[in-house]
Parts: sequence; C-alpha cells; structure tokens
Amino acid sequence: MGFGDAANLPEADELPTESMPLNMGPSHPAMHGTVRMVLEVQGEKIRSVDVQIGFLHRCFEKEAENATWTQIFPYTDRLNYVSPMLNNVGYALAVEKLLGIEDKVPERAQFIRVIVGEISRITDHLTCLAASAMELAALTVFFYLMKAREWLWELLEEVSGARLTHSYVRIGGVVADLTDDFCPKLRDVLRRVRAAIADADKMLTSNRIFRDRMDGIGIITRDDAIGWGLTGPVGRSAGLAYDVRKDHPYLVYDRFDFDVPVGSKGDNFDRYAVRLEEMRQSMRILEQAMDLLPAGPVLVDDARVALPLKREVYNTIESMIAHFKLIMDGIVVPPGEIYSFTEGGNGELGFYIVSDGTGRPCKCRVRPPCFANLAVLNQVLPGLFVADVVPTFGMINMIGGECDR
Amino acid sequence: MAGENQASSGTPAKVKIVIDGRAHEFPAGLTILEACQRVGVQVPFFCWHPGLSAPAVCRQCLVEIKGFPKPVPSCYTPVADKMEVITNSPKVLDVRRQMLEFTLLNHPIDCPICDKAGECMLQKHYFDWDARLARNDGSKLRKAKVVDVGRHVVLDQERCILCSRCIRVCNEVARQQDLVMAFRGDRQLLTTAPGQRLDNPYSLNTVDVCPVGALTAKDFRFSMRAWELWATPSVCPGCATGCNIEIHAARDVIRRLIPRLNPAVNKYWMCDEGRLIYQRVHHNRLVSPMVAGSPASWDAALAEAARLLAQARDKSPATLGVVLSAQMTNEDLFAFSRLAGEDLRTSRVYLVGAGEGWRDDILVSADKNPNTTGAKLIGGLTLRTAADLKQDLETGVLTALLLVGEADVVGSLGLLQSLVVLTSHQGAPVAAAQVALPLAMWAEVDGSFTNRQGKVQRLHAAIPPAGQARPGWGIAARLGQALGAGWTYANAKQVFSEARDKVTLMSGADWGKAEMPVQLRFANSRG
Repeated sequence: MGFGDAANLPEADELPTESMPLNMGPSHPAMHGTVRMVLEVQGEKIRSVDVQIGFLHRCFEKEAENATWTQIFPYTDRLNYVSPMLNNVGYALAVEKLLGIEDKVPERAQFIRVIVGEISRITDHLTCLAASAMELAALTVFFYLMKAREWLWELLEEVSGARLTHSYVRIGGVVADLTDDFCPKLRDVLRRVRAAIADADKMLTSNRIFRDRMDGIGIITRDDAIGWGLTGPVGRSAGLAYDVRKDHPYLVYDRFDFDVPVGSKGDNFDRYAVRLEEMRQSMRILEQAMDLLPAGPVLVDDARVALPLKREVYNTIESMIAHFKLIMDGIVVPPGEIYSFTEGGNGELGFYIVSDGTGRPCKCRVRPPCFANLAVLNQVLPGLFVADVVPTFGMINMIGGECDR
Repeated sequence: MAGENQASSGTPAKVKIVIDGRAHEFPAGLTILEACQRVGVQVPFFCWHPGLSAPAVCRQCLVEIKGFPKPVPSCYTPVADKMEVITNSPKVLDVRRQMLEFTLLNHPIDCPICDKAGECMLQKHYFDWDARLARNDGSKLRKAKVVDVGRHVVLDQERCILCSRCIRVCNEVARQQDLVMAFRGDRQLLTTAPGQRLDNPYSLNTVDVCPVGALTAKDFRFSMRAWELWATPSVCPGCATGCNIEIHAARDVIRRLIPRLNPAVNKYWMCDEGRLIYQRVHHNRLVSPMVAGSPASWDAALAEAARLLAQARDKSPATLGVVLSAQMTNEDLFAFSRLAGEDLRTSRVYLVGAGEGWRDDILVSADKNPNTTGAKLIGGLTLRTAADLKQDLETGVLTALLLVGEADVVGSLGLLQSLVVLTSHQGAPVAAAQVALPLAMWAEVDGSFTNRQGKVQRLHAAIPPAGQARPGWGIAARLGQALGAGWTYANAKQVFSEARDKVTLMSGADWGKAEMPVQLRFANSRG
C-alpha cells in the first residue's frame, strides 16, 4: 500500500497504518485470571476483538460427577476464588432445594450464611476495585483496599480454618458455629473497612487521571444488559435493577433493609461506583444480621444429611453407620433436577443440578455470572483505545476460576 | 388352596390385592414380600433370601394387613384375594425402627474394621429406615470375635444378627447341618453343631448371604475394602458347570469371585473350589515370549515359531500335531482350529485338558474343564484324544508340536524335533519348548465358554493380561500371518461371529452386550 492510497482512507488525518493483530494475554499482568484477547488494532484503536477463555478450565462439572454431593464444596471454593463463601452458599441451596430441606435448615445457619456471604461480597468488590486502581497506577489505593480485604479474610479464616478455600458451608447448614467473639470483631473490622473504602473513594472518585480513564468508556446500555444476560454490578450499572437478593429473596434476605444501587450511563465509572455503594450496603446487611442473629444449632437435625458428632460416631453403632454411609455413599438426593440461583459477587450464580438418586450428581452445571458478563466485551471494546482494555476488562471483573470452571 | 383356585384352562389362579392403596393382580401362592418387590414397593428384610426358605425370624419385613390384629411378616404370608396391604403406615415404620433398634443394641462398632462395611444390609437398612441417634448408652454384650468355624470361614459372634441365612444355606444348598443356634434371648449365638465344622464344599456361600460381617472369608478377610472393588461379570472356569460369577478386582488384582444369579445354571451359588480358582491367575505366570529359554520380543518369537512350524509342515504335515485344551475359550479354539486346518494343513488336532475330578449332584462336575462342550463342537469329530497324543508321542509319529493352552500333557515331549508352546503358566512344557508364548487367562479376555448344558456364556476381561500375555485368538491370527495366511481377526467378537456362522450347534449363541467393570461403591443396588 503506497502513501497515495492511504490518503484516501477515512483515517487519513491520523498516521496511515494497516490493521494488525495484537495479543493481550493469556500471560499479561492486566489479564488477571488468564484470558487471551486477540485485538485487531489500527494504530491505537481497536477494530475488533476476540476474547478467548478456557485457560483455567478444570473440569468442574465433570469432576463433580465423580464426587459425593459434599465433596463438591471444595470445588465450589475454586469457582469465584475471591468470594468462595458465596459459591458455597449457592451450591448448598441448590442441593437443599432438590432434597426439599430448605425450610429445615436452622435459622442461625441461614443468618451465618448471610454474614459470611456478605463479607465475601465485600472482599470480591474490594479485589476488583483494588486491582483496577492499581492497573491505572493508583498503587496506594491497591494497598489500602487489599489491607481491608485481608482483615475480612482473617475473620473468615477464624470461622472456617482457611484463608481462601473455606469449604465452610455444608448441605443443611454450616460446618461450625461462629467463634465466640466473632460479632464484636466483625464490628471493629467493618469500622476500619469503612474508613479504608472512604479513603479509596476520596482518592479515586475525584481523581482526574482516574476519571479520564473511566468516564464514558465501555458503555453498555440497559437493552444490551438484558440481551447479553448481564447481571450483578455490570448489569446494575447499565440501569438494570436486578438483584437476586431483592427480586427472588433466599435465606433471610427479605428481613434486611438494603438498597440496590443502579447506574445511569453504564460506563466503567458507573461499574466502579455501583461496587463502591454495594460494599456499603453489604455492611448495612451485616450490621442488621449481627443484631438479629438468633441462637440455636447451625446444622440441620437429620442423620441422613448432617454428619453426626464425632463423640457419637466413636461410641454408638447408629452414628457410626450414619457417618460411614454419608462419607462412603454420600447424601442420597432424590432423583430430579433443579435450577437454583443466588446473587454472587459478579451477578446471578446459578447451579443446575440433576440427581439420579445416588450419592453423587448426575450433572452439576454452573451458570457463572462472569461468563455472560465477559461475552459483552466483543461488542464493547471495538472503537476504544488499547489502553481502555485495561479498565474495561477490570470493571467486568472476570474471574478465571468461575468463567472457565 | 392353589388346586382349588386353578382355572379350567390350566393357567394359575390370580388374586387381586391392594398394596399401599394401589390395586394389583398376582398369581396365587406368591408371598406379600415377593408381590411388593414385583411392583417396586420397598420392604426391607434380613433373613429372607430368594434362594432359601423363609423362617420369618428377623421381623424386618412386617407389614399391616387390613383386618389383621397385628403386623405380619410379609416374607411368610401368601397373598390372598381382596387383601389390603399397607407397607408404610406410621405403625409399620415404627415397628421396623424398633426392630432395628433391637438389632443394633448389641451390635459392635466395627464398621471401620469390618469386611462387610459398604455392602452391609444392616448399614443400609439403618440408614434407609431408622437414621435416629442411639438412645442407649449402656455397655454392649460381648461375644467371641474370632471363631474359626471352618476351612474357609471365620465367625464373629458379636456381629451376628441371628438371621439364620447361613444355617439354611448349609441345610438347603450344601445339604449338611453344620451350623446351629445356641442359647436364648440376647445370649443367643450362632455356632457349629456339636462335632461339626463348617467344612462343606459350599461353605463360602454363607459369607455371601450373611447380611452383616459375622461370617467372613479367610481368603478375602482384611485384604480389601469392598467398595473399592470393581465387578465384572464372567464365568467360573473351574469345571464344566460354568457357574456365573462376578470377578471382583482392584488395581489389576483379583480379590474374590462371587456367584451371579443364573436360574438355569447355578442359581445364587457356587462351590468353594471355584471361588479360590482365581489365585492361579496371579501365580507363576509366563509373562514374556521365550525363544530357546530366553525372553524375546513378540516379533522375534513369532517369527521363530512360524519358521519351526513351516519347516515341519513343508517336510510332512502328517508329523505335525496341534494340541488344543478344553480350558480355552471358544474364540481361541476356533482360531487355532482354523490355523491347524488351513495354514498348518494337519489333521492331527488333539483335545486335552485337566483330568477328571470329584463331582456331586449340586453344582460340581467331574469334568474340570470349562469348555469341553465348546471344544468338541468346534473341533468336530476328527479331534483326537489325550490317549492318542500319548501314543503318537511315544511311537514317534509326531516330530513337531504346537501346544496351546493349559493341560496336563501326558507322554514325553523329549522325542520332538520342534515344540512351540502357548501357555499361561511356567512349567515343564515351557522348559521343553523352543518357543513359548504367553497366553492371557480367562479373567483377562473377552470370550465365551460352552458349559455342559450347551449354554454359550460370556467372559469379560476384568484385568489386563499379565506381563506381555495376549489372548489366544490374537496369537493365532499373528502366527497365521507369519505363515502366509489370508485371514486375521480384529477382536474376539469377530472370531465369535464367524464361529457361530460356521459351527452349526453354536448358531443360537449371542455375544451379548459389552459389560464394563463397575466399582461397587457406585453400584447403588448393593448392600
């Protein structure tokens, strides 16, 4: 192509270039979660994009078919690994629905599930905002928010024994009660987290550099959100006021007073602002849940579902058999199929499970919210600059473990 | 009663009964339990067994019948016209639970060390029908834990739930009164009859029917957790009866054989001798092709074998013999018969096998070969006998021999100029052979045996062949190729289909569907 031809192109006032393919990822600092984007760029401008996923595929659904219903919890930890508790809860609710024991799960267990779930939602959003801020050079914000996330994870470690892969929830409840001084500690942590979020808010929301990278970039309309099946903060930032906790309340969410923040423009800044506000709303829920937390057992009273106490197992044949059957054969879930969905960190986290009446699932399909959320990038990115990929991808908050499964 | 109800057409009389609100029709004479099983209504039981009489001692199968003052054992009560049976009323469920509570009262907390755990009926019924915490915190009544009751069986009297199934197996299947109950109440226990031991030839069936881990097999005891085993349907190679079995193996090692129901052959049972026959699969095997006493590659060994056989054939086919064994599968027999006739062009085909042994009129045959019938059908009337072989070896009629399969070879192999042996085990023929090729055994191949009744029964490969051993039909095809044959086979099913087409008396046989091994843990029907 000679210069003469280039002069006739619509972009002739810019540098005359040919379009070229550009790989971002799978090994790229901003492509967290291991995803590959093949961009077709003309100069700095993106002409088209091909988002390629699957680098973190671990056969979750196939593995689940060879594990007992209980053994699947550790796998769910590794779906969205910045909010494992929400996956635990979502999966447990699906199996309980198929077992028909939703109403028998003790109230305290339901409150605990809300508490650990909302803590996880905060850590999910903190991670998203912290990482995105860092990628836009706001490293201080990253440190502030990551520190806040660590305080919360320390609390979850206290109840579950693991910092990240909690496996804390069980079918029929949770494995252990909260620690004695959990609530006072959580109130103290929330105070500090609130301060950290306020600091980050001050440093980012009115920051010219940050706003320039976020405002008006990566716009998603409400119609697009519905068309692409976008849920969670991405859908809500586009004006789609859909939150499973409000629209299809589960656990005890109908007892709490909280708002669902909604964006107006659907750009990167709206997604940031929605997440910021959602963390504050989660803290509201946490405070109400701690106030209302009832006393009582934390696991369903049913020897066919809940493991008996070790003391009973070692000293009575009845509990020994129950323990043996639950471990070796698994919980026997009646034949049937069910779709159960909850509000995960990134949106509607669905489990479609099929039982053939044995101790293992016949099928355990996950509807990962960020799979749908990520798909929209093919439409959003063309026309933007290469540098816009980073905040836009960051605000979609694709989590490889969940998207690829 | 049945005689009176017999309709004039000769068909058995039908009775109409209601089970749990649903009307059904059954032939008269059926018990309520059998009727429930036919329509898929779950009624638990310990002492009842489809192959044995019903003493109604466990009281686990109690059901309510409208108009009867108290629950009745369904395993013992025949269906009668207009009967209304309730199997799931609160009263029935409560009675069931109470009986389980009694059974568990003195049951030791042995699941972690019990061989039956995972396939235990007590575990299953407790979980399905009770699933309540213990109400008793007193100490349990102790009984003897290791009683050496017989050659193959150990008794744990604490675990016994006194269902009497084992006693009935001895009485009704083996027809020997070896086991009895002693004492009464919670001190009641199972023991051997005075002066007797559980040494009848069917003693290991007591271990199968034991609903708990009271009777365990010395051979299997503590060797493997039951749920880790993989079950493959097969046929016992111990004698001409051809009892249907399941091979239970884990990590390529067979751990036990158990009988598989076939009403026309062995019902629910098999003999102790057959059960232990698997041990030979893992003992003293020939694992590599041998040429002149040293291990060689398959290619080299086959080339040398073909050279020796071709040399003998080209000199004089009349001095070349092929020895087949009645231990071989139909597929191996057919392939080697074809090799002998078409490619070695010899009519000197001998059929040998294991010698005669003891027999009874229950299951055990005197013919200790699983496939004598099949060999005779495939080999036809020209097959020569072991006696012929002995004579031909001693008179020097034979100068070269292809010896296939396991057999007690009589006569001297020393006079032969060339000897090619295909066998599964080390031994004198391997030592004497110029070329020895390792043969896969019955548990390692897909194939079929034809039993003494003429039934063609399928074997399924449960474990891979030992070392470099290969199925016989495959070796026959490769030898044929090396001898310039125009035929080959890709799998055992192909050989079977051809045999069925060519052997008139096999024409009705069916290869059946492929059965993959199933891990017992996932075979939900068990225990």
